Amino acid sequence: MKPIFRGVNKSKLKVDFPCRHKSLRRARSVVRKFAQRHGFEADAEDIALATQEALKNIVQYACPVDGSMHITMTDAGDRMVVEVMDRGTGFDPRAIEEGPPSPMALHGRGIQIMRGLMDEVLVESGRGSTVVHMEKMRAR
Amino acid sequence: MEIQAEEKEGYVLVTPVGELDVYTVPLFRKVVLKLEGDRRHDLIMDLTKLTFIDSSGLGSLIETFQKVQSADGEIAFVIDNPHMLKILKLVDLDKVFHIFPNLGRALEHVGAAGGYYDEEFFSDLT
Repeated sequence: MKPIFRGVNKSKLKVDFPCRHKSLRRARSVVRKFAQRHGFEADAEDIALATQEALKNIVQYACPVDGSMHITMTDAGDRMVVEVMDRGTGFDPRAIEEGPPSPMALHGRGIQIMRGLMDEVLVESGRGSTVVHMEKMRAR
Repeated sequence: MEIQAEEKEGYVLVTPVGELDVYTVPLFRKVVLKLEGDRRHDLIMDLTKLTFIDSSGLGSLIETFQKVQSADGEIAFVIDNPHMLKILKLVDLDKVFHIFPNLGRALEHVGAAGGYYDEEFFSDLT
C-alpha cells in the first residue's frame, strides 16, 4: 500500500499514508518538501518533525480500521497549516492537557514537541476521528 | 542507521550515525543497552553524526542515561547541531543531561567524574 497523493491546488496538498511506522519518514519528507517549496525553508524541519510526531501517535495508539492516516498541507500565505487526521477510535483530549511529562519520563513527549515547534496546535478528537491542526507562521 | 561503539580506556564512546527515531530505536536499544549490561561504564554519547531525532529517540537517550546512572557511571553527550540542541531544550533535557560541544570537553567531564584518587600513590608526594 503506497501513499496516495490528492493534490487539491497549488497551495494545498492532501496525502493519505498507510498506518504503519514505515510511512513516518516518507510523510516527513513530503511535508518538508512542501514547506520548502512554499517558502518555509527556515522552519521546514520543525514542521516535518511536528507532523511526524502527530502521525506516530496514530500508528502507536489509534490505527484506524481503514488503515490510513490523512495529511493536508496548506500554504495560507502568512502561515503554513498542517492537518493530520485519522478515523480511529479517538480519545479524550483532556488527557493531553495534564502538562508536560517529567524530563526523565520515557514517553509522552510528542505533543510537547509539537507545541514547542509550531505556533498553534489544536487537537479535536471524538468518536470516529481525531484531527491535529497545526500552524506555523511564515518567518520574516 | 549505524552505531559505532568503541571501548576506550575507562569509558565507552558511542556514535550513532543517521536518524534516531521510532524506526531505529529498537536497534539503538539493542546495541547500547546490551553494551552497558550490568557493568559500570562511563559513557560518552557522541551525537554529532545524528541527522534527526524524534520523541522515541529522546526516550532511548533517557533510558541510556538512567541505565548508566543506576550503575554509578557517568554519561556525557556531545552535540554540535543547533537543531538537535533546540529539541533537547524543548523537553528540558538540557537541564538534566551533561551536554558538551566537542569530544574533548566531554572527556574532561567523564575523566573528572569517573577518575579516582589513589591515596597510597600520592602519600609519598605530599
